[in-house]
Amino acid sequence: MSDSELGRKWDRCLADAVVKIGTGFGLGLVFSLTFFKRRMWPLAFGSGMGLGMAYSNCQHDFQAPYLLHGKYVKEPEQ
Amino acid sequence: MVPRVWSLMRFLLKGSVAGVAVYLVYDQELLGPSEKTQAVLQKAEEVVPPAVYGFSQYVCDQTGLKVPQLPAPPKFNFHLRDSWNSGIMTVMSALSVAPSKACEYSKEGWQYLKERIK
Repeated sequence: MSDSELGRKWDRCLADAVVKIGTGFGLGLVFSLTFFKRRMWPLAFGSGMGLGMAYSNCQHDFQAPYLLHGKYVKEPEQ
Repeated sequence: MVPRVWSLMRFLLKGSVAGVAVYLVYDQELLGPSEKTQAVLQKAEEVVPPAVYGFSQYVCDQTGLKVPQLPAPPKFNFHLRDSWNSGIMTVMSALSVAPSKACEYSKEGWQYLKERIK
């Protein structure tokens, strides 16, 4: 992986993390205000979900060049 | 009867607000792959500042107020690699000049104290 590609991946990870944490926080805020009587746990839950999704995406993004994809090939019956 | 209808209406209203929020997130793919969220961020960077400017102009036209020129909107898409590199270089250059600067400042402080004591 070249340096510029690595830098692009880090930039993408950061942008992704910001958007996902913000989205999770926003959804948690909406649910906290509508159904859960302004409790704090939906916000924490939503932010945590967003952070976890961003981490998973980043991990997949960085590991993608090194993962080997195989498939089963059925041998014809002789 | 009326309180039950009112509570049902409140529940439907809250449900619709939550449903709209969930649908917006699903439609814009905000919780999807990182390429899509990067595209959404770029789209927001293009769309939000002109929208804010247009809204402020509309408010000015309607109310007759004069809003002062706002500063340039912040950039959403900054490059972590460039910021990190420049941050590292700044920290290292500060550490390299720290001993000479400390010596210089202590000399100036000592001179100042001597003049004050005289």
